[in-house]
Amino acid sequence: LDPETLPRPLAGDVEPNSLAAMYPMNCSSRYIRLTTCGIPNSQSLASRWHLPLGAVVCPLAEAPDGEEVPIVNFATTGIIRCRRCRTYVNPYVTFTDSGRKWRCNICSLLNDVPGEYFAHLDASGRRVDLDERPELTKGSVELIAPAEYMVRPPMPPLYFFLIDVSISAIKSGMLEVVAQTIKSCLDKLPGFPRTQIGFITYDSTIHFYNMKSSLMQPQMMVISDLDDIFVPLPDDLLVNLSESRNVVDAFLDSFPSMFQDNMNVESAFGPALKAAFMVMGQLGGKLLIFQNTLPSLGAGRLRLRDDARIYGTDREHTLRIPEDPFYKQMAADFTKYQVAVNVYVFSDKYTDIASLGTLAKYTGGQVYYYPSFQSAIHKDKLRHELTRDLTRETAWESVMRIRCGKGVRFTSYHGNFMLRSTDLLALPAVDCDKAYATQLSLEETLLTMQTVYFQVALLYTSSSGERRIRVHTAAAPVVTNLGEMYRLADTGAIVSLFSRLAIEKTLSHKLEEARNAIQLRIVKALREYRNLYAVQHRLAGRMIYPESLKFLPLYGLALCKSTALRGGYADALLDDRCAAGYTMMALPVKKLLKLLYPHLVRIDDYLIKTSQIDEFGIVSKRLRLTAESLDTRGLYIYDDGFRFIIWFGRSLSPDISRNLLGEDFAANFSKVNLSVQDNEMSRKLMRILEKFRATDPSYYQFCHLTSPAECIIYREYVWLV
Amino acid sequence: MAAPELVQTDPEGIEGIRMTWNNWPRTKVEASKCVIPIAASIQPIRPHVDLHVLPYIPLRCKSCSSVLNPFCRVDFTALLWICPFCFQRNHFPQHYNSISQTNLPAELYPNFSSIEYAIPNYPQNPQNYNSVPVVPPTPIYLFVIDTCVIEEELDFAKSALKRAIGMLPDNAMVGFISYGTQVQLHELGFLEMSKVYVFRGSKELSKDQVLEQLGLSSTGGRRAGTGVQKPGGQLSPTAGSVNTGINRFLLPASECEYTLNSLLDELGTDQWPVAPGNRALRCTGVALSVAAGLLGASTVGTGARIIALVGGPCTEGPGAIGSKDLSDPVRSHKDLDKDAAPFFKKSVHFYEELGKQLVSQGHVLDVFASALDQVGIAEMKVAIERTGGLVVLAESFGHSVFKDSFKHIFEDGEQSLGLSFNGTLEINCSKEIKIQGILGPCTSLEKKGPAVANTAIGQGNTTAWKMCGLDRNTCLTVFFDVSSSEKSDPSGTNPQLYIQFLTSYQSSDGQTRLRVTTVTRRWVDSAVGTEDLVQGFDQEAAAVVMARLVSYKMEMEEAFDATRWLDRNLIRLCSKFGDYRKDDPTSFTLNPSFSLFPQFMFNLRRSQFVQVFNNSPDETAYFRILLNREIISNATVMIQPSLISYSFNSLPAPALLDVSSIAADRILLLDSYFSVVIFHGMTIAQWRNMGYQNQPEHQAFAHLLQAPHDDAQLIVRDRFPVPRLVVCDQHGSQARFLLAKLNPSATYSNVHEMAAGSDVIFTDDVSLQVFIDHLQRLAVQAS
Ligand SMILES: [Zn+2]
Ligand SMILES: [Zn+2]
Repeated sequence: LDPETLPRPLAGDVEPNSLAAMYPMNCSSRYIRLTTCGIPNSQSLASRWHLPLGAVVCPLAEAPDGEEVPIVNFATTGIIRCRRCRTYVNPYVTFTDSGRKWRCNICSLLNDVPGEYFAHLDASGRRVDLDERPELTKGSVELIAPAEYMVRPPMPPLYFFLIDVSISAIKSGMLEVVAQTIKSCLDKLPGFPRTQIGFITYDSTIHFYNMKSSLMQPQMMVISDLDDIFVPLPDDLLVNLSESRNVVDAFLDSFPSMFQDNMNVESAFGPALKAAFMVMGQLGGKLLIFQNTLPSLGAGRLRLRDDARIYGTDREHTLRIPEDPFYKQMAADFTKYQVAVNVYVFSDKYTDIASLGTLAKYTGGQVYYYPSFQSAIHKDKLRHELTRDLTRETAWESVMRIRCGKGVRFTSYHGNFMLRSTDLLALPAVDCDKAYATQLSLEETLLTMQTVYFQVALLYTSSSGERRIRVHTAAAPVVTNLGEMYRLADTGAIVSLFSRLAIEKTLSHKLEEARNAIQLRIVKALREYRNLYAVQHRLAGRMIYPESLKFLPLYGLALCKSTALRGGYADALLDDRCAAGYTMMALPVKKLLKLLYPHLVRIDDYLIKTSQIDEFGIVSKRLRLTAESLDTRGLYIYDDGFRFIIWFGRSLSPDISRNLLGEDFAANFSKVNLSVQDNEMSRKLMRILEKFRATDPSYYQFCHLTSPAECIIYREYVWLV
Repeated sequence: MAAPELVQTDPEGIEGIRMTWNNWPRTKVEASKCVIPIAASIQPIRPHVDLHVLPYIPLRCKSCSSVLNPFCRVDFTALLWICPFCFQRNHFPQHYNSISQTNLPAELYPNFSSIEYAIPNYPQNPQNYNSVPVVPPTPIYLFVIDTCVIEEELDFAKSALKRAIGMLPDNAMVGFISYGTQVQLHELGFLEMSKVYVFRGSKELSKDQVLEQLGLSSTGGRRAGTGVQKPGGQLSPTAGSVNTGINRFLLPASECEYTLNSLLDELGTDQWPVAPGNRALRCTGVALSVAAGLLGASTVGTGARIIALVGGPCTEGPGAIGSKDLSDPVRSHKDLDKDAAPFFKKSVHFYEELGKQLVSQGHVLDVFASALDQVGIAEMKVAIERTGGLVVLAESFGHSVFKDSFKHIFEDGEQSLGLSFNGTLEINCSKEIKIQGILGPCTSLEKKGPAVANTAIGQGNTTAWKMCGLDRNTCLTVFFDVSSSEKSDPSGTNPQLYIQFLTSYQSSDGQTRLRVTTVTRRWVDSAVGTEDLVQGFDQEAAAVVMARLVSYKMEMEEAFDATRWLDRNLIRLCSKFGDYRKDDPTSFTLNPSFSLFPQFMFNLRRSQFVQVFNNSPDETAYFRILLNREIISNATVMIQPSLISYSFNSLPAPALLDVSSIAADRILLLDSYFSVVIFHGMTIAQWRNMGYQNQPEHQAFAHLLQAPHDDAQLIVRDRFPVPRLVVCDQHGSQARFLLAKLNPSATYSNVHEMAAGSDVIFTDDVSLQVFIDHLQRLAVQAS
């Protein structure tokens, strides 16, 4: 296998569009991507498809202007659903019997059309009101849900902050950035004027804050009995933001300085978590945790357990799962009470993200990791990502179910959520940055229909307080041969599903076994393909692959080299590995592919040229991630969506370095914080970085500077194939 | 029947001591025949115009460590003094060289039987006169306020607190706890925002747990204070460790007055919901545990008082006195009697332990209870009394009984109660004398010695007692016994007995004082005749001692029949000391030294101390705490109220405590200690209602109306707790406050004999006359 011959995905993720052509009424592929749009018609066929069969769903993916999901209010008619399988009415249902009946596309049941929903059919059997019925023409609609879809009044958007104020949190400057960022977001939190907010801080004790609107300033309430946490007030620990705005402002203004001399090294994280649960459990909402050290007191206290000797043994995987059942139990409780947990971790030491991340994993949350956080260096990244977390549109107290036609069945789900029943995903909070993967299998030996339909339904409460159901419907053809399956394959979806399966495997197996499993499946698949086509192509001895999967081997390799999966003990810090794993489990396809095969562009020419040229020109000139791409005279940006690595070639003109870094350009690059200098070259670089960042705001690319001299970094970051 | 004397001129004198017997029987057998125990009521730090304060350390006997006093025999040439207690010869030290018969040091002046030493506060070695005096630890006032009350009550309490804080000396250390369903300890030294430590109300906390949770634990430094204040913040110069010490919670009054006032402005009633039909969940017990725990972190020897404002019964956590369910009434005497008060013993046990903790720390518990329901004074009594705490029971924080009493404790100058701390009483006495114990606000220090009697009354088994809190009025009753040995003084030469009371304490300004009171009394051989005993009998003191003893026995002895016990003792006393011919009741007479005593006993039998079923257990406890800690004259009034009559034709005069004293044209002023009643006869009330007092020609009437008010004010002003003032008219509903105290000489059973304008009491109680008749009949029979 000659790596040089591998094609490189320099254009990034290319969404297959074959399906859209076949089924124009399908929802956009940004919401559902099947690993192959050709659904095998038989189990024997499926068994020859060695790649995962399934889908990646991103129910709230951001839509470009003009493609927003239409909102439909059935009002008194009631929501039209199949009597038997509960499928929502969609473009693929058919009306018969002069419009009095409709046939469910999923289960084929003939349903009555309610009187108020009745419309005549035209000569071609189409309803005459079709133009006014987005639910019958669009693959994605959002239905306003009536009262029967509520078990309680829709909850207000609720943000609760659990903040470590021990000495390490203060020293890192995290506290100040968090306070400032929250304050700057108060006007932008979704759901005004219903939004609720609350805070708990903790070190060796738990501090609640009474934010009653009539107070001049908040009241801090300390509880030190860690074994018996209780709520110190029946109300006012969680307040309506607009009513208590002055108190909240006063709190955010004073709280970092209030703790600035705190010498407490302890972290009663578990008890603080219980405290937060007691305060917000009634309503649910988002819990944002800012943890700067290893939890050391009370329930859920953790220990340093990253031990090199365990790698390679049967116990290796235990490092990547929580040791204390406390975390999974808390996560289950949070999910039950509609609390989504986002964990921000900052420590410069081992913090057991494997355990902490469990809270996010089972509550539909997210893990943000800022190793060795120093506000002077990292504040922009934290500020950006926290701002996005607080201000992005969020669906509250949701559940999601994916239905599919007879004969096929979803067998497993992969991502950050908890299963409420066999096929119902509990998602206390969902946003556009979350994707979920699922695997399919055939229930019958042979499928007789031509088409399989899929329908994703997300029932949620909008920030405005409406109960809604977002419905995405897609159809896919049933195919009878492997070639069709290959032709209709989607590498992005496959890699996405593969990475989730591999990461999950690391939780019960060695890293090596997880990597081997992926490689084996890719090899099997390619061998199968080769067997299929070798004869006609007569290309024995050479690697052949279908056009649709041409990047798959490379992505597979990249996946094995990703932080979550690569090497052994020395190749990635345990916390880095676990944080990467949690992040990758939730990433939408595009972000994942970029993380696996980052962008690399050379920019020194552009910086030198005085004439204005199209900055997009730079972006499009992506380079292969190979050693040959790196010219020692050049300056490069490597962008994986989470960070920039700016690579200064050994022979790069010192003028450029001086212009970009200032007079101390010769210093240790890793210590230099890139900031704008007073020259056009520097400003240009900054503009490029901003442009890159603007292409995807979900994360903020923090700048690492590196030179060839720092070859360790070089080898770690830029893997060369 | 003689009316009680209006004024007794300073019967306590400079010594502040009154004894039941001023001449003592020599033997145990004789003493027991005297019926009334030998007891002394002492007022350890009684203020007196003649009291001298000496700025030096007293000389002590090197053998028994009693203090040099006027009863010592002094050899001026040899510069020796002989201790009257142990007969040890002691040399005077050098600086006494110049003394002579004509140049006596003050402590040897015969009329300075009480004298006080101001002990300089020197670090470590008190003998080292060169060392710099240390700043005395300033007392701590830790306020604990109940927020499970209606807003109006809370407002009253808050304004009382604000006024109190303004009156405290600038350097007094102040702390603040509010509580309801939970306890909130306010960290007054935290300046960034209002900060409280919260404790669950349902959970019993040890002192160590409190300290641990507050980060004040001395053992584990694990928990540094959280959210500590910036260096350079305001802290008292006496503060220990700036960031983590108790000074986070306790600040000088001058520094935290603003913080406290704004804190009080924002303090609301307890927010926890109360289920319908339930009492509020109120965790008084935990609140006091937290307070005591916090004070446990203060420097040893620092005087401190917990001043608790309690607005209702404790229903949550340790110390609960009743259930949450409103349909279960709080325990009554009947319940206690029938052992049907399931919370009582546990709660009392809790307060016993709390009291022990406070005593070991040297701190005081004061309780100001204001509620229509009971709050648990009966349970808390042990902690209040053992620490020498103050207690006031009122109906509302807005009532003058609370308001004026509360204000009174912070007053200085003339009005000051002279609240003092860390008192220790030690008693030395002639070796024929044994000490049984003390009833009153103190705790036994269990200091054994030859003077300790075999049987104990109250706080016994000791010759030393702790008084965490004491004030000018604090009074204790010491019970003595004489050694059973007939010939303990074989020479028989010493006819005098000596007792020395040594009271060391920290005055409210932080000075260490030692009050030395040495008294002598005469031994009498009562086998020869009772004359001397009779002359030395103090019937008021005896009545009060009997009241204290009977209350004590009612609390301690199961199925104790108080009335019977009092009657039997009275009969025995009358048999022994009365003059009569056997079996001839008409011949019975009593010496004037005894003549008031039967009436005292008559009134004691009818008083709140014996007839407890008319009151709640809280009231009974309250009455008894005050009975035990008040001086004899005040305690006498509690037993037998004083009644003064005002009329046109005569000067105000004492009136018989009898229903016959009521007349239409009289005003009566009744002082029963806890209440002061001005009672207008029918005619007076009518005239007043017609406004005669406002007409110039009826100035005399205006004066008559005013006079009892002026006298009442005199009583109210000097008394703590401030009595309830009731102004009422004959036949008015409030008149019961007077009628309940009067001798029912005219009841409905003899209503036909009544004169017009008088009043009738509807009662089955026996009248004084019937009582005396019975007594005389029985006294002459007994043998
Ligand atoms: Zn159906
Ligand atoms: Zn002596």
